[in-house]
Parts: sequence; C-alpha cells; structure tokens
Amino acid sequence: MKSYKRKRTVSNVIGYIVLILISIIWLFPFVGLVLQSFRSYSNEYGGMVDYLVPHTFSLDNYRFLFSGETNFVKWYANTLIIAVCVTIFQTIIILCVSYALSRMRFKGRTLLMRFWLILGMFPGFLTMICLYFLLKQFGLTQAGAVPGLILVSVASSGMGYYVCKGYFDTIPKALDEAARIDGATRARIFFTMIIPMSKPIIIYTALVAFMAPWCDYVFASYVAFGHDTSYNVAVAMTRWVWTNDYQGYFTRFCAGGVLIAIPVLLLFMFLQKYYVEGVTGGAVKG
Amino acid sequence: MKKKLVSVMLSTAVAATMLAGCGGSGADSAADTAQSVADAATETADAVEEAAGDVADAAEDVAEDVTEDVADAVEEAADDTDYGTGEIKVWVADNVVDFTNEQIATFQSEHPEFSGYTFTVEPVGEGDAAGNMITDVEAGADVYAFAQDQIARLVTAGALEEVEESNAEAVKAENDAGAVSAATVGGTLYAYPITSDNGYFLYYDKSVVSDPSTLEGIVADCEAAGKNFYCEINSGWYQTAFFFGAGAELTYDTDDEGNFTKCNSTYASDAGVVALKEIAELASSKSFQNGSAAGEATNVGAIIDGTWDAGTVKDLFGDNYACAKLPTFEGADGKSYQMSGFGGFKLLGVKPQQDDNKLAVCDALAAFLSSEDVQLARYNAVGWGPSNLNAQQSDEVKADEALSALAEQLQYTIPQGQYPGEYWSLATSLGDSVISGEITKDSSDDDFMKALEDFQTTCEGYAQ
Amino acid sequence: MGGDANNKKKSGASLFFEAIGNGFKEIGVTFAQGDIKTKLSFIILGLGPILRGQFVIGIALLLCEVLFFWFMFGFGWQYLSKITTLGTIATKKVKRKTVYGDNSFLILLFGILCVFAIIALITIWYINIKENRKEELALKSGKKLPTNGDALRSLLDKNFDKTLLALPVTGVFVFTVLPIVFMILVAFTNYDKNHQSPTNLFTWVGLENFKNLVSFSKNGLGPTFVQVLLWTLIWAFLATFIDYFLGLAVAILINKKGIKFKKLWRTILVMTIAVPQFVSLLYVMKMFANDGLINGYLKKWGFIQSYIPFWTDPMLARITIIVVNIWIGIPYMMLIATGLLMNIPEDLYESAKIDGANGWQMFRSITLPYMLFVTGPFLLTQYTGNLNNFNVIYLLTQGKPQSMNLAERAGNTDLLVTWLYKMTVTDTNYKMAAVLGIVVFIVTAVVSLVVYNMLPSVRDEEGFQ
Repeated sequence: MKSYKRKRTVSNVIGYIVLILISIIWLFPFVGLVLQSFRSYSNEYGGMVDYLVPHTFSLDNYRFLFSGETNFVKWYANTLIIAVCVTIFQTIIILCVSYALSRMRFKGRTLLMRFWLILGMFPGFLTMICLYFLLKQFGLTQAGAVPGLILVSVASSGMGYYVCKGYFDTIPKALDEAARIDGATRARIFFTMIIPMSKPIIIYTALVAFMAPWCDYVFASYVAFGHDTSYNVAVAMTRWVWTNDYQGYFTRFCAGGVLIAIPVLLLFMFLQKYYVEGVTGGAVKG
Repeated sequence: MKKKLVSVMLSTAVAATMLAGCGGSGADSAADTAQSVADAATETADAVEEAAGDVADAAEDVAEDVTEDVADAVEEAADDTDYGTGEIKVWVADNVVDFTNEQIATFQSEHPEFSGYTFTVEPVGEGDAAGNMITDVEAGADVYAFAQDQIARLVTAGALEEVEESNAEAVKAENDAGAVSAATVGGTLYAYPITSDNGYFLYYDKSVVSDPSTLEGIVADCEAAGKNFYCEINSGWYQTAFFFGAGAELTYDTDDEGNFTKCNSTYASDAGVVALKEIAELASSKSFQNGSAAGEATNVGAIIDGTWDAGTVKDLFGDNYACAKLPTFEGADGKSYQMSGFGGFKLLGVKPQQDDNKLAVCDALAAFLSSEDVQLARYNAVGWGPSNLNAQQSDEVKADEALSALAEQLQYTIPQGQYPGEYWSLATSLGDSVISGEITKDSSDDDFMKALEDFQTTCEGYAQ
Repeated sequence: MGGDANNKKKSGASLFFEAIGNGFKEIGVTFAQGDIKTKLSFIILGLGPILRGQFVIGIALLLCEVLFFWFMFGFGWQYLSKITTLGTIATKKVKRKTVYGDNSFLILLFGILCVFAIIALITIWYINIKENRKEELALKSGKKLPTNGDALRSLLDKNFDKTLLALPVTGVFVFTVLPIVFMILVAFTNYDKNHQSPTNLFTWVGLENFKNLVSFSKNGLGPTFVQVLLWTLIWAFLATFIDYFLGLAVAILINKKGIKFKKLWRTILVMTIAVPQFVSLLYVMKMFANDGLINGYLKKWGFIQSYIPFWTDPMLARITIIVVNIWIGIPYMMLIATGLLMNIPEDLYESAKIDGANGWQMFRSITLPYMLFVTGPFLLTQYTGNLNNFNVIYLLTQGKPQSMNLAERAGNTDLLVTWLYKMTVTDTNYKMAAVLGIVVFIVTAVVSLVVYNMLPSVRDEEGFQ
C-alpha cells in the first residue's frame, strides 16, 4: 500500500513537471509578444531583435497606434463592426437553418443537406475573384468593403449549421408535439420554446462567429485593397510584417497584436464553458 | 435618371464653353446652332428624358464637328477648357503619403482649372500596387507609383497609359538615360521616373568591418565579431550583383505591347558557375543572413541595402555608420571580380482613362509629381534619390553619403531593363535552392552547371 | 448545381426518369382537362389562382414571371448571347481615350446567372401548373380553397421551413453556388494575366489547363503538382494524428487524479485558440527566423555555431510547421477529449485494475478504442480541415522555400490551397487556380467518401455500448 502511494506521488510530480513545461512553451510566445510591445521605440528602434527582454520599457508603441499617424483606431473599429454584425446575423441564420433542418421534414431536405456538404468541399479561396466582382456590382468593395465583408460572411453562413442542428436534435421531439396539440404554430414553438432552451449553443455559435473576422486576412485584403480606411486589423497589420515599406514596425505590430488579442481572449475565457460544450458536441456528432 | 440629366447638362455646358472660347467668325453660325440645340436639350430634359438624350447626342455631334473645324482656335483657348469634375486616386508608399498630399495641394493651387477634381492619396506600397492594379484596373488608382520591374506586366494588363507626347519629350530630356529606358517598353514611354536610387551598395559597422573592399574580408570580420552579414541572395534583384559581376548576362527584348520577344542569357557558362559558387560559398558562412531590410535585421555587422534604408541603418550603427560600394570577391577560379548589380528606378504611372479630360488632369499631375522641384523636395523629405538630372546635381543630393556610395557603385551596375514577372520568382527559387542546401559550395561543377542550364532555359521560355 | 444532383440521383436513375415522365404527363393532363383559367396560366403565370381568388399565390407567381422578363431583356440577354465566345469586341483607343470592348468576365458571370434564371423560371412554371391543377381538382370536388390569410399564415406554421430557409438558401446560392460554378467554368478558359478583363478578352480552351497540370513535359506542371499534392496529404495526416494523440495524452494527464488546478492548465492551453492566429503565428514566425529570437539565444549560449535554418531548409521547414501546428492544434483535441473521457464508465477501469492491468494496457484496451469510436467523424473533419489549412502554412512560411525543381512559384511547404492562393493573388493565373480548386475538391471529396464509409460509428451505430 505504501509503495502504491509513493508511486502515485512520483507520477504526480512527473505530471506536474510536464504540465509546467507545457505551460511555459505555450505561454512563451505570448510573453515575448507582450514584452516586445513595451520595448522603447526611441531607444531601441522598432525592428526585430534577438533578445527577449527589452532594455528600456515604454509605451511608445501604444502611443503610436493612437497617435493618428496610422488609421489603427479605424481598422479596429472596422473589425469590431464586422465582428458584431457577423455575430448577430450569422447566429440568426444558423438558428433558422438548424431548426428547419432538425425539426421539419420537407421535400428536398436531404438533397439540400448533401448539396451543402458537397459545396463545403470546395476551397474558399477559389471563388475570391468572382466574389470580388460580384461585390463590386453592388458597390461593396474598397470604400464599401466593410458591409461587403459582412454580407459575404453572413450570406454563406447557412452552411455552418452542423453543430447547432446536432444540438436541436437532442431536444426531445415530444415537446414539439405536445405544443402543437395545444395549437401552437411552428413559429411559436421556435421562438418561445426552442430558442430559450438553446442558450449554450447560441452562445457557442455567436462566439465562433465573433472570433473569425479578427483573423480574416485573405478575403478582406482582396476586397478592400487600395482603401486604407476600410481595412480590418489583419489586413492592415500583416503589411507591417510582410512589406518592406514598413520597416521597424515590428514592436508596433506586437502592440497592436496585444490590443487585438485582449478583448477576444477575455471574451473567450469568460465563455469557455460554452465553447467546450459546442466543440465536444460537434466533434461527436460529426 | 439624375445621372443622365447631369451628363446632358455637362455635355451642353462643355459644348457651350468650347464654342464661346473660339468665337471666330467661321465658327459663329455653328456655335449658334449648337447653342440653340443645347438650350433645347436642357429644356426638354426635364420633360422627356429619352428625347433629351438624343438631342444631347446631336449637340455633342455638332460640337465635335465644330471642334474639328476650328481645332486651332480651340487649342489657343485651351486654358479655358472646362475639365469637368471627378475624383483622382493616387497610390504611393505609406511613408510618402503626407509628402504627396502636400505636393498635390501645391499642384491644385497652381492649376485652378482642375478645381473640379478631388484627389485622394492612399498608402499602397510599390510592391502591391502592380498586383492590385492588375486584379481590377477599374478600381485601381488613376496615378500610382510602382517599382520598374512591374512595368511590362502592367502594360500587358492594360493598366498603364502611354505618356502624353509633350510630357514624354520633357521626361526624356530631363531624366537620366537609365531611368528613361526603365520607363520604356518596346519603343514607347509608359511612365514617369521619380527616383533613380533603386540600386544597392554596402552599409557596414566601422567597429566590425575593417576593410570593406573584399567580400571575403567582410565575411571574416563579421564571423570574428559574431555579427550578421545580410545579403538577399534569393532575390532576382540582389543576385545579379554576383552574376553580372562575374560577367554573365541576362536581358530581355520587349515589343510595344509589353510582350517579351527574346531572352539574352549567358548564365549557363563558366562565368555563371563562378557566380553561383560564390553565392553558395557566402551562404555557407555562419554569419550570413538572407535579407536586405535593415529594419528587420538583427545583430548587423554589414548589410547590402539601398538608400531608402539609410536612416534606419544610421540608427542601427550610430557613430560606426559607414557605407561603401560593393566589394570584390575572389572567384573559385582565383580571379577577382567586382560585384555588379542592377540600377533601378521608381516610376509613376497613369491608368488608361475613358474620359479625355480626366486623362489630361492625370497627365498633368504625374508630370508635376515627377518634376525637378518635387523630386528634390522628395529627396529632402524622405531621402529618395532623384532621377531628374538637375536635381541630381544639386548640392544637398551630392553631399549625401549613401547616395555617393551608390554613385560610386553605379559605374559597375547595369540599368535594369524589362524582366518578366516569372524571372523574379525563378530567381527566388534559385536562391532558395542555395540557402536550403540543395546546392552547396561542395557541389560539383556539373551540379552548378545543371542548375544554371535549367535556369537559363526556363528564362528563355518566358520569351515568346 | 446540376452535377451533384445528378450524382445523387444516378443510383435511382430509373426512379428519376419515372418522375420526369410523370411530370410531363401531369402537365399534359392539366392542359387537356383544365379550364380556360388554367390554360391561360400556361402563358401568364399565376393567372388561374388570381382569377380563383388566390391572390397571394397568384401574384407571387406573376411577379416571378415579370421579374424574369425584366431581368432577361433589360440586362441578361446582352451577356447570355455572347457566352459561346465570351465577347469579340476588343478594347481600342480613340486618340488618347480608352474605349473598353466586351468584358469577358461579366459575360461569363451574368451568362451563368441567366442560365440559372431560366432554370428557375421553368421550375416556377411547373409549380404554377401544379398549383392550378390542385385548385381545379379541389373546386371540382366541392372543397373550399384556403383563404389568402391562411396562405400567409401557413408560412409561419406548415410552411415555416420555407420562411426560415428562403434567405439562407438565396445567400448560399448567390455567394457560394454562383461563384463556384463560375470558377469551374473558368478552368476551361484561358483567363490569366495575358487575358485579363476589361482590357483583354478571354475565351474557351477546353481541357488545355487540365492537361497542363498533369503534363510532365518541360513546361508542364506535373512534377510540381505531384510534389505539392503529396506534401498536402502527408501534412494533413501528420498534423491530424500527432495533434490527436498528443491532445489526448495531455487531456488524460490533466484529468489524472491527484493533479490540481485542472482549470488553470486548460486555460493556459486554450490561449492559442483564443488569440487571433495572424498575431500569434506571425510572432512565432519571427521567433524562429534565421536571425530571430531562438537562433539568437542558442548562439549566445553557445549551443550552436551558425543559425538553424528553421524556415529556409525544406525538410526542417516542414518539421517546424508541424511542430508549431501542435501548439495550435492540441488544445482543441484536449477540450474534446476532456469531456469525453468523463463519459467512460469508471467501473470499466475498476474491473481492469482487478484483473491486474497497468495504465498503458487500460489505455490501449479501454480509452483508445472508445475515443477512436466516438471521435471518428471529428478526425475526418480535422483531416479535411488540415488539407485546406491555409493560415498555418501561409502565416508561417508563405509556402517557401521555393526551389528550382518546382514550377509556378510553388514552394516546398506549399499546400494545394496556398499554391492556389498565390496563383490567384500574385500571378493572376485564374485558369490554373480554378483547375487547382477543382483538384482540391476532388481530393477532399474522395478522402471524405472513403474514410466516411470506413468509420466504425457509421458502420455500426450501436457499436460501443
């Protein structure tokens, strides 16, 4: 019995060591990012360096972002607007689609589901050029890129119904039947029964929708090109890393990165429980 | 409906002013006709839109006839031309946006006749400009700056208008020959040169590098000091320092449409092997780093870079800042070669327009932004070396340390002509093959030759 | 749109034709037996219902027809008529002014839209006939027709699905289906940098581009394509399974009895999910650069003489990408596994322990089979997701290093999708990008189909109980 206990203690200690190592590896880049963002711009120049801890700390880089020399605030606002709008509309659409596909049996239902599944197998970038010119017909590129990006994300969001439908499938149908016998319409059931019961999945759907636009570089850069004030943060700031026009912007990139990461990170941590529920449910249902 | 109305009004207004401007006896009657037709057009416009369109067309026709009749008179009165209204988009690199805005303000005050136009300047880097222009010419800028290596591609895609005749003469007369040839495709001048400093030379840290005259010496000094030596060998632009230096050649002939007709290359030769071996030799040094952006470099001992980074490098080296022409290198055959390279240029282009008046404004703007005064002002503001001959002779430009190193290097360089877009990507592949160790300094001569033969045949394949 | 519908119906080809036959028969019968209202409805859609008082349905049908003709004659026809050549009028110069000719791009795009509009009209026409027939039969048998109010109200009840799906389906159609059909057709044209709208025209070239992709002659893309395809498949396999097992291991470790602060460990790990990838991955890219943080410290501490080429050596770059992807990928798997591990009945482990099984044996015979069974579909979606994992590759290496052995700007770490992206954005080589897109689709579809049919949870739904 004693040896068993000792063995257990030893294995626990090893476990802790491994976990601490993992945590260090996991956090290291973030620590680096934050440290670099506080590096003094005036004393150490803004380029990349091969040391971790800055020699002088300062808020130079953050000051630069809000100084009006760049449109950082505008880019941030654009991204936030896109993220909020996409979150609202995408969640509504996914709920509608999921309810229809989960609860109602109509002609062409399986055909529609299969068809969307097949559509999903085409790589998204394939259609960039076509989407660009489609949006241009509506005047939603360059100056109108923000609504344009919202429109494109929302328009195709119906296809991402899987997780939500899976959740609806687990709500017993008997509830619906009972309500219908009492004379409730489908719409009434949807609004007054199903939606209030689906809080976790709604939060999950909204969270996922909210996080995506922060990282949208590919399509956003394609739609907004040549119009600085309609860039989102990803488009504007990747230039600071990739283009030689912006040398010495590395620490500014780090500072901007920190500012972007914080709200998303906080929201995520706050709603982590729902995210886990959604991901797990989705993984098992497939 | 409103749009059509406006256009009717506009065309009548244009016709009216033009005719009012000429006023000669011969044109009088025609002018009256046009005027009355135009009046009729304006009146009817409100009532029957359809008809108004027709009448306006008629008015335009008449106006056109008249214009031809009294072409001379019109030319005399050109200053009174109503250029109408419009929006002109300008793309330049981010660090000259403010500068360009100031210059455009000057331009506007000098040209009150363009008061109907608004100008917006957007930060689009010279590298991205061409790609974006080609993706959608219509949404692209009306006047934009780009690096010369993109010019043929832009001409093929229909994103560059020929330089207006009188401007073309001025451009050819006032800028250095290399700049003019860089802006020329086939026999036609397609762009306005604005800088002539797209060449590279050596920046070094005096405390690290004692003698910047040989490549071997520089590398040895950097290795000894544990510092990095930056040279972007996977760029088709920097790579040529070795190839051209060793005596290999690579140029293309183009026709007027921007198509490549012939490739003249001697890369697959002993000279080419010497150059590639030297690149491999350099890449094997532990102090070697591939790169040419001073702002992104770390622990720099020496870097091959251009004037645009002069400020950055000064910050990096402080009191130890120094620059020199490119070094010589000792080839595998024991001979000494002076590193060569491209002398390149930044150009300003005008997009083809569907409206003559707007085109005229764009032409004027591009000519202004590439003029002697503005080039000099640009040098003073951001340190870009001018392509204008007079500006080059000015005292402040001559006193610039980096620019004089570049000038010294310039005698060994070859003005960069037209190269197909694929060349740059192919050169990156060649450089990457060396950096990644597919080709090393220990490879056999046959391996070097094979790589260069591949390179040369592919290069030749780009010309039809 | 047609392609996949056909595939699906091939299995029941006879059924399909039977249905079509019945459809035609019904149209004939409706016309022969119909009254004048019905007969007129064959030309003026919705007239029958309107005359019978069914205004909502009737006007909706009529509106569709009006809209169709307005669209077709006001807009669509000028494009549709040129679709066989994609335009013939070249751009020309009038003095210095540019007069653009036909725009091949718009001709193709709106030509496709017209074809869809025609199909839609035929469908609506058929619905219209069926509606007439239904109403007529109902009236004949003395039934009352539903009121207009009922028709509208049914949209919230019996036909609620139509209300819910109308907008999403339209959205998917306009912004997904239409562009995909467009790009599939582009694969059969010569739309590239030398044939770019609006200045130049492009036209049909048949299978030329597909031949080029698999051609092994001097200028063919064959060898490059094969290498990129292989790396794509290998990458997706490694990225999926390494992350899967490591994630599982971490989850088991955190779930272990005696380990405290479970929530803290999890929170640290999921940070890589929460921080936008363009921030975290670009920083990591810089960190591993030849002159970056890691090489700098290793050199300073004397572990290495010259830098480790994390991104510039082809093999090392691939390995580094996979390692960095672990950093991004483990947390997902950990989250999923954590929830699922708790579902495994404790007594299974207890009885195994009594039988004298050690930890590893228990893992192999209880945990792993259960997890594999339950997460089969997840593995499949992960795999197809990794086939198209643009962000990790592009933000880390942009597909580099390039090589003399690879054509068309492809690099050693390029996946099919990143190659496709470069073709679209950097080279404006749309025709080859379209071909690659089709290839990616085929690869994804084949893998999904094969794996899906092999999954235990699909074969045996009751399986693990």
